[in-house]
Amino acid sequence: MPIEVKNLVHVYMPGTPFEAHALKGVSLAVRDGEFVGIIGHTGSGKSTLISHLNGLEKSEPGAVFVNGMDLGDKGADLIAVRRAVGLVFQYPEYQLFEETVAKDVAFGPSNLKLPAEEIERRVSEAILRVGLDPSVSDKSPFELSGGQKRRVAIAGVLAMQPSILILDEPAAGLDPAGRREMLSLIRNIHDSGTTVVMVSHSMDDVGRCCDRLFVLNRGEIAFSGTPAEVFLHDEALHGMGLDVPECAKLANRLRREGFDIPEGLFREEEVCAAILNHLGKGGKQPC
Amino acid sequence: MLKGVTIGQFFPGDSLIHRLDPRTKLLATIALIAIVFVSQGFAGFLLIAAFVLACCASTGIHLKFLFRGLKPILFIVLFTFALNLFFQSGTTVLLQLGPVKITAEGLRMASFMAVRLILLVVSSQLLTLTTSPIALTDGLESLFRPLEVVKFPAHEIAMMMSIALRFIPTLMDEADKIMKAQKARGADFETGNLLQRAKAMVPLLVPLFVGAFRRAEELALAMDARCYRGGAGRTRMHQLRFKGIDALAALAVLALLAAVIALNAFHVW
Repeated sequence: MPIEVKNLVHVYMPGTPFEAHALKGVSLAVRDGEFVGIIGHTGSGKSTLISHLNGLEKSEPGAVFVNGMDLGDKGADLIAVRRAVGLVFQYPEYQLFEETVAKDVAFGPSNLKLPAEEIERRVSEAILRVGLDPSVSDKSPFELSGGQKRRVAIAGVLAMQPSILILDEPAAGLDPAGRREMLSLIRNIHDSGTTVVMVSHSMDDVGRCCDRLFVLNRGEIAFSGTPAEVFLHDEALHGMGLDVPECAKLANRLRREGFDIPEGLFREEEVCAAILNHLGKGGKQPC
Repeated sequence: MLKGVTIGQFFPGDSLIHRLDPRTKLLATIALIAIVFVSQGFAGFLLIAAFVLACCASTGIHLKFLFRGLKPILFIVLFTFALNLFFQSGTTVLLQLGPVKITAEGLRMASFMAVRLILLVVSSQLLTLTTSPIALTDGLESLFRPLEVVKFPAHEIAMMMSIALRFIPTLMDEADKIMKAQKARGADFETGNLLQRAKAMVPLLVPLFVGAFRRAEELALAMDARCYRGGAGRTRMHQLRFKGIDALAALAVLALLAAVIALNAFHVW
């Protein structure tokens, strides 16, 4: 099990009037090679949760295991954990700092104290992998466009060659085309054998990419399961400030009205086919 | 790691003192400091301490927060105490060790100075604990307003203060995020010698500065878009107004002053 979280609790500023319970006993597990989505409204504890996944935050009670290592352990090898778990924060383009793209991407691998040739190889590989032209390597990251900067930041994490990649809202603030490209880039990374955890509040995005979803609400896991299973709870999700994809909404509504639409459909093609199928069979006609 | 640092240690609340006009609190604090200097003896100090502690108790803030502000000046207090203890000339020798002697006058003076310092800090602490930074700058602006006739930029200074205060938590948050992101890439901020640590700050400071400039530019644009053109003719959403409790507070402080002067006059120890 690459990631296992057991009954994790996190309280910000305990003992002051600003005390805030970000996580109230969260348990989840991510299996090898999975593409897992974590969804939740702003303030549901998503970002706190992922900070725990590579030992940036620690708290009691609760435990986090990464590849069998207990991160709460005093002697936990955090370098090994950070090598295994790559974490891409929200708006990662704001953490670029080096003079050139290549140097910035090399920051992670050089912190791992790798030999120079290995670093160089990983840097050019990572830049290609995120779909950037090798010619940007010598440019200043501050000259690039927003979308390119984000790719550089992701390359910086990929260059550490993590076996688990965690992304916090990787598509936030991108235009629809940039969004699609970013998601297909992440899918490619997943297809090449990396376990991926993606945090998002967009049901469309996670529905399209993820094998399994966890819905966080006020620091607790409200639902988990495949996207099809989770999208059945459209009304409860709505109460948490979340929305299901439009097609799932339509399918759920039709089924509640008594139409013969199977459960668990949320992709446009599937819902279309189900409606046509229903009409073709001469089922109950709408009034 | 940077979480938990509060600015000005303001504790939100709804007590009588919380609801006082910030100008009243500012003036009362200045008066309180003056009263600490007026007092000539320990009886006066005792009275002032009782007053401050009672005020703090009425706000519902734990007394330990009142004394938290003492930590940074502890050294100064001890230094002052020692200086007065050994170098105050007096006639009643309590203890003599070679050239070093401690006199009764020295001991009294040393304790007097130390208590005075502690009271100064503790009584001003009451202001920052019960007043939000924004209310404080509003109060300052209003108090300095009369000086605008001599071209004192009261509004500009208050605006700069509130913007700075407004952005401290934002920048702290951002620093925290960048730090986490760089740590996730294996950066090490905690070990190494001074030079290594200074170098380790570069991946934190460069994005932080870039972000601060970006925010400053965005803020300037947003203010411009809403027709900000300085303080002249600007009205406020929260009008400061003196109320009954403000008069009450003024009376309480005046009563304290009168009591301390009376104690001085009767030479009470």
